[in-house]
Amino acid sequence: MKQKKSNSQLNFAMCNKLLPKSKRSQLKIQEMAFMLVFVFLFFALAGLFALTIFSGNIKQEALKIAEMRTLTSITNLADSPEFYCVVSKSNCIDADKLISLAKNKTNYLIFWPFSSLKVVKMQAFDKKESEMIECNWANYPDCEIFVIYKKENKNIKNERLMSSYVSLCRKEYENGYTYDKCEIAKIVAGTEIKTMD
Amino acid sequence: MKKRVDKKAIEMGFNWIFAFIAGGFILLLAIYATTKFVGVQEVKGGTETAAQLVSLFDPLETGLASGESNQINFNKQSRIYNEGCFPDSNRPFGKQEISFSEQTFGNKFGERSEIVPIKNKYVFFEDMIEGKKMYVFSMPFFMPFKVADLIVIVPEKYCFYDAPAEIMNDLENLNIHNVIFPNFTEECKGRVVCFGDSEGCDIKVSMSDSYVQKSGKRLYFNKNLVYGAIFASPQTYECNVKRLMSKLNEVGRVYIDKIEMIQRKGCEARIGDKLNILMSNAMSLNSSRQIIQLAELSDEIDSINEAAKPGCRLFG
Repeated sequence: MKQKKSNSQLNFAMCNKLLPKSKRSQLKIQEMAFMLVFVFLFFALAGLFALTIFSGNIKQEALKIAEMRTLTSITNLADSPEFYCVVSKSNCIDADKLISLAKNKTNYLIFWPFSSLKVVKMQAFDKKESEMIECNWANYPDCEIFVIYKKENKNIKNERLMSSYVSLCRKEYENGYTYDKCEIAKIVAGTEIKTMD
Repeated sequence: MKKRVDKKAIEMGFNWIFAFIAGGFILLLAIYATTKFVGVQEVKGGTETAAQLVSLFDPLETGLASGESNQINFNKQSRIYNEGCFPDSNRPFGKQEISFSEQTFGNKFGERSEIVPIKNKYVFFEDMIEGKKMYVFSMPFFMPFKVADLIVIVPEKYCFYDAPAEIMNDLENLNIHNVIFPNFTEECKGRVVCFGDSEGCDIKVSMSDSYVQKSGKRLYFNKNLVYGAIFASPQTYECNVKRLMSKLNEVGRVYIDKIEMIQRKGCEARIGDKLNILMSNAMSLNSSRQIIQLAELSDEIDSINEAAKPGCRLFG
């Protein structure tokens, strides 16, 4: 090992003697320049690496906050003016209002922080969405799902769904009397999962 | 012969000078990057807090309750900036924008966070509020049906002088400790809100003429909007009133459709025409002054609804 080191020192000394002084200085400057470029590149790469981890965290954090918003909003949605029942019941949705919201999809797209919003009746809990009968003005109340808006309406590709159980009430008319007919339903709302394109 | 002076200078080759310059440049770049990174972290933290703050407003949905309240405790002295209220963007609902910053080293406030929009809430507060502990409460706004919940942030002490029992009860039931009801104006430490003709008031409220006088402006109110007028900046108040009227129009459309639905079920609906007039008047509202006329029409619709059979009422 010692022999090797002394050999290299000898080679460098010989090289120094063989080369003219100006060339030697040039070589040293080049060495230094290369060294500095590599140091710079090293820090730049390390910075980029840190930035990737950092931005990954931001996306995770943003999704977490968005999901938290969806969760807090969905649990309070039944009490909002667009949904709440005429009768004084908490966590109750007025189906007669819901059919209007399902009809006029456009405006509320930008109001709630959800990527999609639907209300599914209990009879369709074990069905796939494609198999459910969508509620419209003509088939209401003999239908299974109220689609207020879909993720496609907002041009969203990926979403994560959350749901909350509510009672769904509507006015019924029988033998000259009107009464409230209620059933179990669930509000299903989506949170957009943003991907890097 | 001139004597040569020994300056004891250090010989420095070109490579050393080059290394110093380049090294210095790299060092400066590193310092710049670190400072930027700290700034970005500050903004990131602030933006997260602002976004979480917006989430905190959701549980304030009143539902059947007459009001809800919450207390926000920050770790450090914090500021919420009112970045603007825009009734004409995000149509038809409009939007508000807020940002956040908190105290860093040496009692200085850090960089403002990114702007966070609020699209489905109506938040009433001053242009910039500061504090470590803030009270937030919400009150439903009916005209004649529930239009939305009004969210009010109370960051500092308010003294309500000569307040009517209704307002006293509302705020005391909500446990808003920042609002006190002293007997004399002299006892007040904070912003003085007078409900009579007292002197030395920051804000004057006329319950009989339905207006709040503050910053040289008159803000007209109806029912619970009085809280918005007291605690918000005039610009925010006027903007939120416009946003609320747009919301009234949207919720009104739902009720217009519902009229058709209840008619199918043997109910006679006499509200439709008046409701349509209310909705179109609400959409053409330019300032809070017009809310007084709208309130009259709203009361008329409400009495028609109340007179209907219980099973045929459009709204509760």
